[in-house]
Amino acid sequence: MYSKKIQALLKKKKIRIGDRVLVKKIGKETEGILMPQTDAGDPETLVIKLDSGYNIGIKFRNAGIEKSGTRQSKAGKEEAEYEMGKTRKEILKLKFDAKKPAISMVSVGGTIASRIDYRTGGVHALEDPREFLHNTPELADIVNIKRFVSPFTKMSEDMEPDDWIKTAKHVAKELNSGMKGVIVTHGTDTLHYTSAALGFFLRNLTKPVVLVGAQRSSDRGSSDAGMNLICAAHAVVSDIAEVGICMHGRMDDDYCLFIRGTHARKMDTQRRDAFRPINEYPLAKIWPDGRIKIKNRDYRKRDDKGRVELDAKFEKKIAMLKVYPGADPDIISYYISKGYRGFVIEATGLGHVPTQARKSWTEVIKRHSKDIPFVMTPQTIYGRINPSVYTNLRILYRESGAIPGGDMLSETAYVKLGWVLGHTKDMEKIREMMLTNYAGEITQRTLVGTFLY
Amino acid sequence: MALDYKKLGMKCGVEIHQQLATRHKLFCKCSAAMQDKEPVFEIRRKLRAVAGEMGDVDAAAAYEMLKNKVFRYKVYLNETCAVELDEEPPHPVNREALDIALQIALMLNCEIPEEIEVMRKTVIDGSNTSGFQRTALVGLNGWVDTGFGRVGITNVCLEEDAAQILDKKKKSVTYGLNRLGIPLVEIGTAPEIHEPEQAKEVAEKIGMILRSTGKVRRGIGTIRQDLNISIAGGARAEIKGVQKLSLIPRIVELEAKRQLELVKKGRKVTRDVRKALPDGRTSFLRPMPGSARMYPETDIPPIQITEEKIKQIRKNLPELLTEKLEKIMKSYNLNEEIAGQIVSSGKTELFERLAGISEPKTIANVLTRYSKEYKIPDKKLEEMFRAIGKKQVPKETLEKMLDALSKNRPVQDVVKIAGDMLSEEDVKRIVKDVIKKNPDVMKAGRPEKALMGLVMKEVGGRAPGSLVMKIIMKELKTSFS
Ligand SMILES: [Zn+2]
Repeated sequence: MYSKKIQALLKKKKIRIGDRVLVKKIGKETEGILMPQTDAGDPETLVIKLDSGYNIGIKFRNAGIEKSGTRQSKAGKEEAEYEMGKTRKEILKLKFDAKKPAISMVSVGGTIASRIDYRTGGVHALEDPREFLHNTPELADIVNIKRFVSPFTKMSEDMEPDDWIKTAKHVAKELNSGMKGVIVTHGTDTLHYTSAALGFFLRNLTKPVVLVGAQRSSDRGSSDAGMNLICAAHAVVSDIAEVGICMHGRMDDDYCLFIRGTHARKMDTQRRDAFRPINEYPLAKIWPDGRIKIKNRDYRKRDDKGRVELDAKFEKKIAMLKVYPGADPDIISYYISKGYRGFVIEATGLGHVPTQARKSWTEVIKRHSKDIPFVMTPQTIYGRINPSVYTNLRILYRESGAIPGGDMLSETAYVKLGWVLGHTKDMEKIREMMLTNYAGEITQRTLVGTFLY
Repeated sequence: MALDYKKLGMKCGVEIHQQLATRHKLFCKCSAAMQDKEPVFEIRRKLRAVAGEMGDVDAAAAYEMLKNKVFRYKVYLNETCAVELDEEPPHPVNREALDIALQIALMLNCEIPEEIEVMRKTVIDGSNTSGFQRTALVGLNGWVDTGFGRVGITNVCLEEDAAQILDKKKKSVTYGLNRLGIPLVEIGTAPEIHEPEQAKEVAEKIGMILRSTGKVRRGIGTIRQDLNISIAGGARAEIKGVQKLSLIPRIVELEAKRQLELVKKGRKVTRDVRKALPDGRTSFLRPMPGSARMYPETDIPPIQITEEKIKQIRKNLPELLTEKLEKIMKSYNLNEEIAGQIVSSGKTELFERLAGISEPKTIANVLTRYSKEYKIPDKKLEEMFRAIGKKQVPKETLEKMLDALSKNRPVQDVVKIAGDMLSEEDVKRIVKDVIKKNPDVMKAGRPEKALMGLVMKEVGGRAPGSLVMKIIMKELKTSFS
């Protein structure tokens, strides 16, 4: 963004961003297109796109700016407009094939459904499924994105439980309107929380719900958005009636993994193949050419009949904590004093918290566990909580009332606890529900090949 | 028949790509040395023609072209990280590379932008994993002077080098990622060159300026030269990969002639990319592509260049190689060939240090010729020369010493080889002695010849022949006068 002073001057001179201008400064004249300044640049520096295509910055101090008399070439003008986030009209000519399976797309944001608006430095959300077709024409061979809904768009890190509920509502509505399935486009950072939430919120699912994101923006030829979308389209017309995440399986542009929503985790800050299945094999490998290899037979089969039921009651006053050497359990008292009603605690190893230590978490848990659930999950990420092999574990789980989370991911347990507390405040019922498998979140067998898959 | 290029309306521009000799790559901390021999693994990728992002490139055609193409990328342990794999955003720009590029821009009389904006230039041949090349304009509106007049420098850009093509098949192309991201400057002149010889002069001059920094890579593949040529009524041809500068006038001439023939026949000259052949001719490579789309690299904040920064770089600009050459020729009484070899070997500083303590010609010889042959580190050579000092060493002895040095013999042992050498005084004594003992020789037609034979027998290789002859001549002069 330019400074207020520059903005005022441009306004006075009726110069708009995208205009061809002449900047004069001590004997030097620079002609080109006035571009927006990004957040990272200096607000007192004008950015000019030269005819060579390069941008340069000119400090505005001691400079004059005026509209240039020379006409901008058509290509140059189009170029500048495109860079500023305006979409070309040609995309409106694109069409989906009505004979292909009809699906809906619910877009709640993310890199996959956006392009950068250089005018504001912000993100410009795609608003028309044809914009996806524009970048990924192959989609038309697989699905007919008949409906496109975008209840809101948010950066992944800004998502809140209310957003999961809103998303689930729209997905349920679309599924119940006769669509073959729903693709949800979403930012990647908290994608696995949303996928877990949809897993619990959508009961009696008979069709696929495929969440998809991208780790590389779609402006670049190397973007993973295209292949992820293509594989997501194959997943959404498949017979896997589950909520899952479909993204790159490896660094190669080879296949995507379709991972159950309650067993997925973002395991890298930036890699294409950041989403991994934890403690379970992926549901399937999906290739862009449509091949699907089932890797895990434990899934619901599509039957397209019956209505999906939305069950999105959620208790938001819950927290996720992590124990570590020196961690002070007083933090629990603080949360309770603020009205919190449940905790997921990332425990060490097999499910330990400091028990005989100077500051005993076990004691604090014991003090509160009659009215407040404490669900233990493994901070090792992989593996399962074991409530009985060591004395300290027995004290924690038998005598002090902690609930062992099995092999549930902490993120999944957090979402599940909120969902369970949304349904009951009865401690016995809470414990029973936490230990019941609702969305494939707890596995019965630990398959060793799933480690670091 | 020589062409009248003015009449033809010939326009030519030169474009030079030169790798910079930095330790690290431009946007990550990977080594830029290209030393890794074997790749550790390979990844396979596709590129997508992002509609609307292609500039003038036909998106539909690009889409078809890329649909079935697989790019294989070889990963090298020390020279590839997540950045080259397009799995991590670029790190901040390499300041060392930026400084060198700014230095070059100033030496080419360019203006430096107050804020440098890194751009993404769309590239879809797979030579860049991201689908674009990062490039920034760091200098513009510069010039170089030639014997034919001034030629404008339109741009000095700092950019990342592309991946190196290793293998090309119908459906796949294999690239090595070790070259991707090595800092490169691209220098483009205005199409203001109007004579074939001038094109060569411009390329030579820019090359000389680049080498003067002492911070550019040397050797095969580190510099690439392209030419843009057109005549009135013709069309711009881009000629890629000019190997030798001496070929440039011939290439320009042949291309002007080629276009002239077509114009004369009334045929349309198409805008082509052509490949320079070793004999100066060119062959068709592909039609000139539309201009690539360029848009901001939002992962790298714009770079502010302060006046102080420019002042500081301007203050420390290196001496030009041409100036160095002249200085060395004059100061050490060397001919242009030898002086030129010293300057172009990049060992000027070492030479100047040693020339004060030992015999300049010998040093020049060793530094330019023998050092390659014997592969001796400069530090050892310097030690040896310091130990020998002013003493003159005959060629044979010098070679013996270098041989010993190259076999890792300690410098003090090596110097002993020279230690057996006779001083000028010793030689004088021997010459006088021989003359005294052989009075008949002085009566011969050319006494110096006979004396030389006799004296050399006594000296037995312990003094250079040139020195012996010099002393004999001196002695003869004094005894005849
Ligand atoms: Zn790297």
